[in-house]
Amino acid sequence: MRFLLMPIRSNKQGVQINVGKDGADYNAVVNTMQAHPDDLKELGAASGATIRVRTDVGEATFQVVEAKVSRGMLFVPYGPPTCQLYGGDTDGTGMPTSKGWEVEVEVVSREPQASAKEPQ
Amino acid sequence: MSCTLGEVKNRADFIIYWGGNPAECHPRHFTRYTLTQKGKFLPRGRKDRTMVLVDIRETMSAKAADIFLQVRPGKDFEVITILRALVKNQKVSAEACAETGLTLEQLQDLVNRMKAAKFGVLFFGMGLSMTRGKHMNSAAALTLATELNAFTKFVAMPMRGHGNVTGADVVMRYTLSYPFGINMSRGYPRFNPGEYSTIDLLVRGDTDATIVIGADPGATMPKPAIEHLRRTPTIVLDPKVTHTSRLSRVHFTTAPAGISAPGTAYRMDEVPMPLRPALESPYLSDEEVLKKIVAAVQRRPGWYPKPHSGGPVA
Repeated sequence: MRFLLMPIRSNKQGVQINVGKDGADYNAVVNTMQAHPDDLKELGAASGATIRVRTDVGEATFQVVEAKVSRGMLFVPYGPPTCQLYGGDTDGTGMPTSKGWEVEVEVVSREPQASAKEPQ
Repeated sequence: MSCTLGEVKNRADFIIYWGGNPAECHPRHFTRYTLTQKGKFLPRGRKDRTMVLVDIRETMSAKAADIFLQVRPGKDFEVITILRALVKNQKVSAEACAETGLTLEQLQDLVNRMKAAKFGVLFFGMGLSMTRGKHMNSAAALTLATELNAFTKFVAMPMRGHGNVTGADVVMRYTLSYPFGINMSRGYPRFNPGEYSTIDLLVRGDTDATIVIGADPGATMPKPAIEHLRRTPTIVLDPKVTHTSRLSRVHFTTAPAGISAPGTAYRMDEVPMPLRPALESPYLSDEEVLKKIVAAVQRRPGWYPKPHSGGPVA
């Protein structure tokens, strides 16, 4: 199933960057995606399930949770997993396109994982 | 067209946040400078101000907004272009507006409010500058603010990111004339984003060594750039061991700037803030480490061939 992925910044992510990027909290924050409840139903996944997100450049796995977001879109704080998904083409600007990637999503595990963070 | 945050606090009665979520990412912005503060010409604080949020999703900042405009992803440039047309009283079709996820009435209302403001400010974030259109979106936003000055006072300001990112831009500008993407290989500064900017250099593999100071590209840059940092010698100066430290050949732990090392941080409105160290650190500052590296490099003989003396070449 295809989605539009929007990496974002969040308050918890900003706090955890300063606490330390090796912590479980930081990893949970940057590995938890937010999706519309109807999209999760269509995927056949429960809130907290594990999904694999793939682009032309690479892939990464995330936990996905229900949130108040638009249909067809995924939101996740920037972090090491999102680095795996985007290429280095900057269109001559010096800045790669870091938002609005079309991604392919498949469900790895339909059951909720304990490490998934609630949306903020 | 910009100003300081002090002017925003004392004068701005109309505030737009576009593609940013200050409630989460700049938590003190509302309370220190923009919304709730009472200003010299806004004695009732929040009651004297109107705030509009433009974004692709309803973030926490939407709760603080008087008006929330939800744009379709990647349609920011189109919205700004329509606003510029409406500012000049040009005809805009309802179909063109519908494509952006907004209605003509919503956009006309926004333009009327912008023109009627005594002092307007447009803060724009990564949702505008790092999505489809990138610098063209930023340029359009700045042009919109400039054109509104035919009717009232209107300014625009980017919502800069964490740390002292503004400081790096400002210092590069007053020392080398450009804010980033500068090539000094000829002994004088050359500026060309897309050619000399960090990610382009790394992705093309143009560099054979990298020094990273107070940043963590290993956790933020695209995968091809990270792979090049791993392949080539990378030196990291940082108070903490980062993802970049783990792929580097050398990591220097340094004193945290502004906490254990003195310096100057620049606010997002480019106002310099001198910082005295509050705590002692056993580590050297970034500046001291860099000076030692420069001194050690200068002691070594040059790698380049000596100029030809004119005799026959063997």
